[in-house]
Amino acid sequence: MSAVITVQDLRKSYRYAKRGRGLIGALRGAVAPEHQTIAAVDGISFEIAAGERVAIIGPNGAGKSTTLKILSGILEPSAGAARVFGLVPWLQRKMLAYRIGVVFGQRSQLWGELPARDSFALLRRIYDQDAAPFARRLDSLVERFEVGDLLGQPVQRMSLGQRMRCEIIASLLHAPSLLFLDEPTIGLDITAKAAIRDFITEQAANEGQTVVLTSHDTRDIELVCDRVIVINAGRIVVDQPTDQLRRQFLGRKLVTLQSAAARIVIDLPGIQVRPSAPHTTILEVDTRLVRVEQVIAAALKDGGIEDITIEDPPMEEVVREIYASTHQ
Amino acid sequence: MKSMPAPISRRPAAAPSLNSAHGLIAAARMGAAGTLAGWPVLLGRGGFYVVAMSILAALWDKVAAERVPHALVLPAGGLVIYVGVTEWIMMSTPAIHLRLEDDIRSGALEVHLLRPKLYLAQKIAETVGGLAARTSVIAAAAMALLLVSGRTVPAPAAWVYIVVLGLVGGVIVVLLYAVTGLCAFWIRRTMPVYLIVQKMLFLLGGLFAPVSFYPRWMAQVSEASPFAAALYWPGVQALHPSASLFWRALGLQLIWIGLLSGLAALVWRAGLRKILRQGV
Repeated sequence: MSAVITVQDLRKSYRYAKRGRGLIGALRGAVAPEHQTIAAVDGISFEIAAGERVAIIGPNGAGKSTTLKILSGILEPSAGAARVFGLVPWLQRKMLAYRIGVVFGQRSQLWGELPARDSFALLRRIYDQDAAPFARRLDSLVERFEVGDLLGQPVQRMSLGQRMRCEIIASLLHAPSLLFLDEPTIGLDITAKAAIRDFITEQAANEGQTVVLTSHDTRDIELVCDRVIVINAGRIVVDQPTDQLRRQFLGRKLVTLQSAAARIVIDLPGIQVRPSAPHTTILEVDTRLVRVEQVIAAALKDGGIEDITIEDPPMEEVVREIYASTHQ
Repeated sequence: MKSMPAPISRRPAAAPSLNSAHGLIAAARMGAAGTLAGWPVLLGRGGFYVVAMSILAALWDKVAAERVPHALVLPAGGLVIYVGVTEWIMMSTPAIHLRLEDDIRSGALEVHLLRPKLYLAQKIAETVGGLAARTSVIAAAAMALLLVSGRTVPAPAAWVYIVVLGLVGGVIVVLLYAVTGLCAFWIRRTMPVYLIVQKMLFLLGGLFAPVSFYPRWMAQVSEASPFAAALYWPGVQALHPSASLFWRALGLQLIWIGLLSGLAALVWRAGLRKILRQGV
């Protein structure tokens, strides 16, 4: 599959003037400033193929937002190369804009005091869209996102979930082939998050859109993305399919048993009991030491089991483990 | 599952189109709609205009009654209408510098840079739309006040000159404020620059008194400035309406619009270079 994004040895460093303490420090800083250089992105390389859904994750200050800004053309790198659809983003920003859609979870692209309908109408002009097909696409997106009743409402009076649905519609109106999503579910409730994730996944699958997402919500990554790039201190520490990442770093399963008895005790190696409510037993199973079916068989042997759930550990734990391993 | 949106034709041409007239008109309409949507503020602004003008009218009526030499050469009540025109322009101009400053400081500018059109042109078009909405409402308040006051109403030709020069003058103020707002790329808070521009509008622009009252050399400097092009020249049509003066004023205004647009574009490019290198 052809690469939509190609990044080679990309670097971005910022130079800051250090400020001293107090009046003397301020004067010294004004006369003979000391500078400090920080490498936000420190030589990363990767490719993203058409139709891939990739999460770029990392702790705060890791360089993920800087990478996203460089790829969308609003920041120049200090060194290295990047191409998006064959374009150099920071040199051909406006041309690239027709082909990408961007959602910043914490920033609005709509005009707050006006109804969303008016913002969409202006975006049609901004992206040079023909009226009739644009109207058809808008109608379709409005129907799918169920925001028909909201179109006449000033954006600033919408709830965060309603606004975010309109934000995503705004980013898709010009039919971009690549979607950059920066914390798209931040601040939303569970239902709204689920709706946004479902929509992004469905949209990408049906239109073959490439998605690049950053998020601190590991459920976004698990449910939307099929590949994860972990950045730490400006460098890529992991670049793997989401499933493989989860298995490699934990190799564990969570087995939850609902029982008539207050607790189920299983004496097998590689099992740890996690804290839980009475009549619920959560077992963390190290699959390198014991198979899950052995654990279930042992649980069923004593009887009284009402329900069994087998899950992968939450992505959050995976990420925590990755960070820990890269710091060692 | 609901139906998928139909793919649409788009124009990622070899080079993106510049800001089309359609796009700028749509932005201006958006600005006007946004201003009208805040109708309580707009009505409040109209009310404040009436209050401010009542005070200024009392002041200039007293000046005329006291037979201040300069006031004697002007038509009866002319100064009040002059100040009515300059205040009309000043109070109609939206604070584009605050919006620019806010976008630059908060990082909201990034969202706009991701679009294929020039942010500054869109923002100025939106502001001019807001200016058009405000001038209409405040003009209605001004006309009502003028009729109630029983003063001599200027000739119809004078009104045409005042409206045209007033609107173009408003655009000059918008551009002055735009350059002020763009200073946020370097100084973050633009209030100090704004205060200077505002005071220059008061003094060299002749907000409260025609610059022809000044000593000759100061009057000449003022008359050639963008501040007078914005306020004094539209206002002077209330005192001495004439076609030749109108064309001279309009020519001066257009020169300043060209120069200030160029300055705004230069400042924008320099600011953009800065944030593309250093981030917002």
